[in-house]
Amino acid sequence: MRRLIALLLAAALTLGLTACGGEEQAAEPVTVRYGLSNAWDSLMPYNSPSGSNYTRIICDKIYDRLAYVHADGTLDPRGATGWESADDGMAVLFHLDEKAAFHDGTPVTAQHWADTISLITDPNCPALGRGTFSVLAGTDSNGCALEGERLGVEAVDEYTLKLTFKSPTTPEDFLLDKNRELYVLPTHLLADTDPAEVMELDLWDAPVGSGPCKFVEEIPGSQLVLEVNQDYQLGCPDFDRLVVTVIDKSNLLPSLISGDLDYYAFGGNVSVEDAETARASGLEVAEGEVPNTFYELMLNCQTIPSAQVRRAIDLALDKEALCLQSTQGLGEPTATDVTPGAEYTCSLTWQRDVEGARTLLEQGGYDGRTYSLACTSNRSGLAALMQQELDEVGINVTIETVDSAALFSGMADGKYDMAIASHTPGALPLWFTASRLSESNNIFHIADLEPYTYYIDQISASAGWEKRQVLLDKLQELLADQRPFIPLWFGRTLHVQSPTVDNIDYPSSSFSNENIWAWRMKGA
Amino acid sequence: MQEEANIMGRYLRRRLLTAIPVFFGITILVFCMLNLAQGSILDLMGEGSGATDADRAALAASLGLDRPLPQRYLAWLGDLFRGDLGTSYANGKQVTDLIAQRVGPSLLLTGTGVVLAVAIALPLGVLAAWRPRSGWDRAASALSLVSFGVPGFFLCLAGIFLFSVTLGWLPAHGMYAAGRFAGLPDLLRHLILPAGVVCLSSVGELVKQTRAACLETLGEDYIRTARAKGLTDRAVMVRHAFRGSLIPVLTTILSHIPHILGGSVVVEQIFGWPGMGSLLFSGISGRDYAVVMGVTVVIALAVLLTNLLLDLVYGLVDPRVRYGKG
Amino acid sequence: MERGRAMEEKRLDRSPWARFRADRRAMVCLFVLCLEILAVLLLPSLLGLEPNASDLEAGFWAPPSAEHWLGTDDVGRDLLARLLSGGQVSLFIGLSSAAISAALGVPLGLLAGYRRGGWEFWIMRLADIFQTFPSIVLVLCLVTLVGPSALNIVLVLGLLGWTGIARLVYGNTLAVREQEYVLAVRALGARTGTILRRNVLPNVVSPVWCSIPLRAGRAILSESSLSFLGFGIRAPQASWGSMIQYASNLTVLTSRPWVWLPPGLCIILTVLCLAGIGDGLRDALDPRFHS
Repeated sequence: MRRLIALLLAAALTLGLTACGGEEQAAEPVTVRYGLSNAWDSLMPYNSPSGSNYTRIICDKIYDRLAYVHADGTLDPRGATGWESADDGMAVLFHLDEKAAFHDGTPVTAQHWADTISLITDPNCPALGRGTFSVLAGTDSNGCALEGERLGVEAVDEYTLKLTFKSPTTPEDFLLDKNRELYVLPTHLLADTDPAEVMELDLWDAPVGSGPCKFVEEIPGSQLVLEVNQDYQLGCPDFDRLVVTVIDKSNLLPSLISGDLDYYAFGGNVSVEDAETARASGLEVAEGEVPNTFYELMLNCQTIPSAQVRRAIDLALDKEALCLQSTQGLGEPTATDVTPGAEYTCSLTWQRDVEGARTLLEQGGYDGRTYSLACTSNRSGLAALMQQELDEVGINVTIETVDSAALFSGMADGKYDMAIASHTPGALPLWFTASRLSESNNIFHIADLEPYTYYIDQISASAGWEKRQVLLDKLQELLADQRPFIPLWFGRTLHVQSPTVDNIDYPSSSFSNENIWAWRMKGA
Repeated sequence: MQEEANIMGRYLRRRLLTAIPVFFGITILVFCMLNLAQGSILDLMGEGSGATDADRAALAASLGLDRPLPQRYLAWLGDLFRGDLGTSYANGKQVTDLIAQRVGPSLLLTGTGVVLAVAIALPLGVLAAWRPRSGWDRAASALSLVSFGVPGFFLCLAGIFLFSVTLGWLPAHGMYAAGRFAGLPDLLRHLILPAGVVCLSSVGELVKQTRAACLETLGEDYIRTARAKGLTDRAVMVRHAFRGSLIPVLTTILSHIPHILGGSVVVEQIFGWPGMGSLLFSGISGRDYAVVMGVTVVIALAVLLTNLLLDLVYGLVDPRVRYGKG
Repeated sequence: MERGRAMEEKRLDRSPWARFRADRRAMVCLFVLCLEILAVLLLPSLLGLEPNASDLEAGFWAPPSAEHWLGTDDVGRDLLARLLSGGQVSLFIGLSSAAISAALGVPLGLLAGYRRGGWEFWIMRLADIFQTFPSIVLVLCLVTLVGPSALNIVLVLGLLGWTGIARLVYGNTLAVREQEYVLAVRALGARTGTILRRNVLPNVVSPVWCSIPLRAGRAILSESSLSFLGFGIRAPQASWGSMIQYASNLTVLTSRPWVWLPPGLCIILTVLCLAGIGDGLRDALDPRFHS
């Protein structure tokens, strides 16, 4: 009997050990350990069902993009060295970097970019997230190429890419809006593949891109090993490997403090309190300069049909307290979605008015019904605070705690009446409104989009700051009157500095790009 | 001898036959439940993904989500027999491959945890039964209490805080320091904390069961006989009571494997351990049904198989089992 | 030695309740648990505590003070009030789910063990099926299906917890049904229901008594795991399991022990008391188990 037990135990141990070991020990490469709280899904950027920032920040390493977007909205060259408007603003010319090459050595040409876009917009290709390309001429509102029409993409010469749009678009506007979803694929490896079968290729299990890192190996959903691309056109960092590990968010800061992580995405964000803990443990913490979160309360205008009731909700909420609870002092309540500190402004102001809210409620004929308020589990405190504030004016709310995917789909289906959401704000005047107040994504369930789309089209079509600002003010007045969503606040974040890696552009990581080619090991 | 083999064969056949309905029960249950679960993967293509209705319909068709449920079950079952668990909705990879990558780390973590737990629970349980209300018995109770009363995630975080953040002795996450195997010491260092938590959260039940089984055997006739023969307490304990309680303890350990695996979901998630638990967690939170179904079925079938093997071992070790009703 | 034996025999003579009362440890546990139940039920109204109201003047994460004895949480709610109302939820989840499990497990185990045949086969196979799964997976799936609320969590935990109890009862019933007194009653033509109730049940149920409290304790912890995984009870309700989640933040864990220590201690105390009561009941009902 004793022997039997011993045998069983030994078998269990050896099984476990052999299953994960057995490799030769190589010369120690310098490794940077990178933490991520949620897993990426696909390493094929146009085949990601979630389309989440976690996938984007990983694809950002393997594939190249046209530009690098800073947190303040300025742009740096990346795949393209420069850009200019053409055809009276209807098109943009991108001058590509001639040094760029795929990891297999093939130079990246304008033809690769053009072929990538043709492939993804091909209706036969089961690509996800092609809606990005619906701004291009010759596509429908889903981003599918229209038969018989010329697709708005062209390789003018080997290193010049021309994109043609449906409406006048500046290169800056286009890049700020779309850069993070525009990658170049190794189309020379796809030439013989039927577009319908592109996603089935083994290539995506060991992808070849032209980004700053090369794929080495992956445990899907848990770990990704990347190697630095020594030939990247913008240079390369002074370490050899980047190991991305998915660990629970509760363990990110502890791991950084204990020295088991070098950095965690996105930008080493911490709350004000955790920043104190980090400082006390000898880490440095820097404050972000520009707002990088925008909180809103989404409303369902179909189930809350009265604009007065929606305005009453706006007046009933104590945005000061909510903002303080969430940002611990690093945020400013807002009356609009226009990002403060950017080129465009908005003069609207907001103040809490409980009495005004009660009056509006009465005018709007609120019948005492109970609204459902959806939030993610880490914001249930925020939701509870809102619930109390709304209760103060007599609005009844129940809280539904769901994951973020279910939150957005529930809002889109009309399952919830309200939902708390946050976004990365952009510098463009329509960064928030253009995509949400449209037929294809009418997430607020607005019965008549016409008044909004009128201004949105006008603003996108007109050139010049002054004209746009005037139109933007009108749009904001309309929004304030109708309140299809409630802007809450703009918040900044704190970034825990890596104890081992220098030169990280922390804030820009909220735009799903990181300047990894410029990272340097400390003390090297 | 011939008859012995016949009886053994009949016994085995009976065990196998009872396993079949269980197998179907498991597969039907998993399949139905996960399919009925709210919100399919298509919901995930929500705002920000840039997906359109057309994208959703295309994905639904390509995943076979447009067919009726029984048809999908049969198709799925057929694939299961061929070792094909489908592809992950999230990343399009073969679920079988995903699981194959995770089995080793999971076995290592839970295996080490269980071995540690047994190594602590067996002697402690026997000692506690031997000398009720002694210091050993109190220690056993205290250990059970921590094991029962403290949630796993708390043990993980307290362990990380104590041993990684404060003392800096052990790594706070992962399986290897640099992403791949770099020697046994490195692996063991990474193993200690998570395996310790797995051990601590399963040791309570084992101590309790060992103690109970020992007390039970101490009351049996043959122990009384042994005592009457004039054997010392120690000899009775070691030679008889301990051995007599091994089978019930072994049963407890094996019947606890699903719980231990379930508990390792939280442990693997917090430590970023690349095992089946963290795979299950990401599957559930991403509503990746193929993965959840795959992992659950693999765990359930593994447990079913272990139980069969255990019955076989019983049958070999203890002739009474073969003749009796299994 | 002699005196001990005499006392032992005296103990055996008494009724189960008398034996239970004589067990000091079990009585202390029962007393503490009753105190706990009374406290969570009565104290909130006696002290005028409001678990879901934020005190914005006290601020978020206020340390313990005269006004808020245990401080306030992340949205300025009184932690003592939440501890008490969380206790209502946690005790409700623990006790009722254990009761549901027993209410299902005992009759099923009895039927399987006494009737044998088809009953035995299907009930035990069903138990096999449920026991091959990691229970947290089944619970998670079912809770996503029915939506997370205290009542649903109770139902799911209760419905899934019957197997262990059924197995215990089944095993004992198998042994008891062949015993002479049962055979005798059966030969006299008593109805199955009567035999089960009068003759079998009392003799098989004692191990259930000590597994129920453990089940209750485990259910409280399962709710905590569910909270950690994001499928816990509905906000703004509190439970001990969800309150202890605050400790998953490093800052709270290290510098605000008053936030997570009380719910943690409450869970441990409750599990301890339940286990003590269970042991006491077992000893009182089944004299074979005396120590």
